[in-house]
Amino acid sequence: MTATATATYLRTEVRRTLRSPRYALFTIGVPVGLFLVLASLYGSGTQDGISGTAWIMVSMSVFGAMGAAVSIGGRIAGERAIGWTRQLRLTALSGRAYVAGKAVTAFLVAVPALALVYAVGAAFEGVRLPASQWAEAAGWSLVALAPFVALGIWLGQWLTVDVLGAVSGGLFTALGILGGIWVPVDQFPSGLAAVSRALPSYWLAQAGREPLAGSWVGWHGITVLAAWTVAFVLLAARAYRRDTARA
Amino acid sequence: MTESPLAAGLRIRGLSKSYGPVRAVDRVDLDIVSGETVALLGPNGAGKSTTIDIALGLTRPDAGEVTVFGRSPAEATAAGLVGAMLQSGGLLTEVTVRELLEFAASVYPRSMPVAEVLARAGLTELAGRRTTKLSGGQVQRVRFALALVPDPELLVLDEPTAAMDVETRRGFWASMRELTAAGRTVLFATHYLEEADQYADRVVLLARGRVVADGPATAIKAVVGGRTIRATLPGADPDALRALPGVTSVEVHGDAVSVRSTDSDGALRALLSAQLAAHDVEVAGADLEEAFLSLTTSGASA
Repeated sequence: MTATATATYLRTEVRRTLRSPRYALFTIGVPVGLFLVLASLYGSGTQDGISGTAWIMVSMSVFGAMGAAVSIGGRIAGERAIGWTRQLRLTALSGRAYVAGKAVTAFLVAVPALALVYAVGAAFEGVRLPASQWAEAAGWSLVALAPFVALGIWLGQWLTVDVLGAVSGGLFTALGILGGIWVPVDQFPSGLAAVSRALPSYWLAQAGREPLAGSWVGWHGITVLAAWTVAFVLLAARAYRRDTARA
Repeated sequence: MTESPLAAGLRIRGLSKSYGPVRAVDRVDLDIVSGETVALLGPNGAGKSTTIDIALGLTRPDAGEVTVFGRSPAEATAAGLVGAMLQSGGLLTEVTVRELLEFAASVYPRSMPVAEVLARAGLTELAGRRTTKLSGGQVQRVRFALALVPDPELLVLDEPTAAMDVETRRGFWASMRELTAAGRTVLFATHYLEEADQYADRVVLLARGRVVADGPATAIKAVVGGRTIRATLPGADPDALRALPGVTSVEVHGDAVSVRSTDSDGALRALLSAQLAAHDVEVAGADLEEAFLSLTTSGASA
């Protein structure tokens, strides 16, 4: 594919996502709203070396970004259901390029989700950080989003729209709670905390928080995130082959 | 003389495809020369869509060969030589008609200017509208526009007018005529005999996965056209009924007779005449499904 074709594809996909009411509500509205509510309730004190408010801010920013990443699964499933992917098979856009475009889009539309929650934190919740820390928090959050993008693609290639809605909703909630996005993992019973530290959602949140404490997610976290990413990519590839073979 | 690849058109040999126990396509041979407009006519389940999907490289056949302009279907589509309007297919959501076509134009190796596509598909007025705000007929026009985007040599349309009202249908075929005047090859599937008759140079009849007739529309019409007259006629003589104007088939079950005729007016007049005095008369238009069944059964017994 040419550079202009790639640009047009990405522009189309990003524009479509930004226009979607689901995106506005779940990726932007809900995280920002919850941040404001939770910060007023639990914002005092410190947690993991940062202020309670900053901790909640990062939680909500990655929560929104995770939603943006997983929601591309719904788009893929929907486009398979209406026969759009079949129509695309008559073009020069290969199946791989189609999926790759969706993945890049997921990262791109996660950026406003992170940025908006940060902006609310800076403007209304008194979170003051040097520019470099904001950038590091956002950058590492995006890196740590990789397994969720792969998860979204896998589910979208594998499931029908209806089943996907139920599965991803449940999975999203479970990953959020177990990954310590809502309640700090150090308040979990030790067995559950161990499970938490094996989940990509835990390390996604850590990736966003550590830069605020002047650190980074660390090699252990990177390894866990990479393992999940590889697993989901392999599953997505298998689901993709099955889906195209069926036609 | 060496044939140019474009002159080769679409060539199908011994094509077969089964879905489980169902033989969707059964040893189909078909040649379409460049510039020809051919209708693939048949009832639902005749194998039209399967044949089309294979010709587009979307479905792999069990047996047989297909070449499009001398290449494999996948190569021909990837080269932008083929534009297709698939039977079922929704449109991308959250885009306007123009954005959708611009996107499509970007993913083909070559394309017609979007403004021209819009004009040819009669969509200029609707260019700024979201795809989710279109009527059924308008969606069909956008799908037609998508087929035009690569400026294809071969247009493949699977029941293109399915969701259109009469007026839209007429407009659709008018723009098709304009397009094919430039020497494009067209293969379209339909289950309307009238549509095949009016717009195709040649009609290929498919029934139960087989080609049962292939020829100019007028010849096909004589085979499957006409009307069926049903009436009550005690003591009917099948031979006398066969002698009525335009009669192609006769069935007698007790007092009930069923006569198929290409000159239904003439046959009807004779049936209602003093000599025959048929009553409870019913006239039904060409029932393709029925005509196909009779064609396939007679084909099998011959």
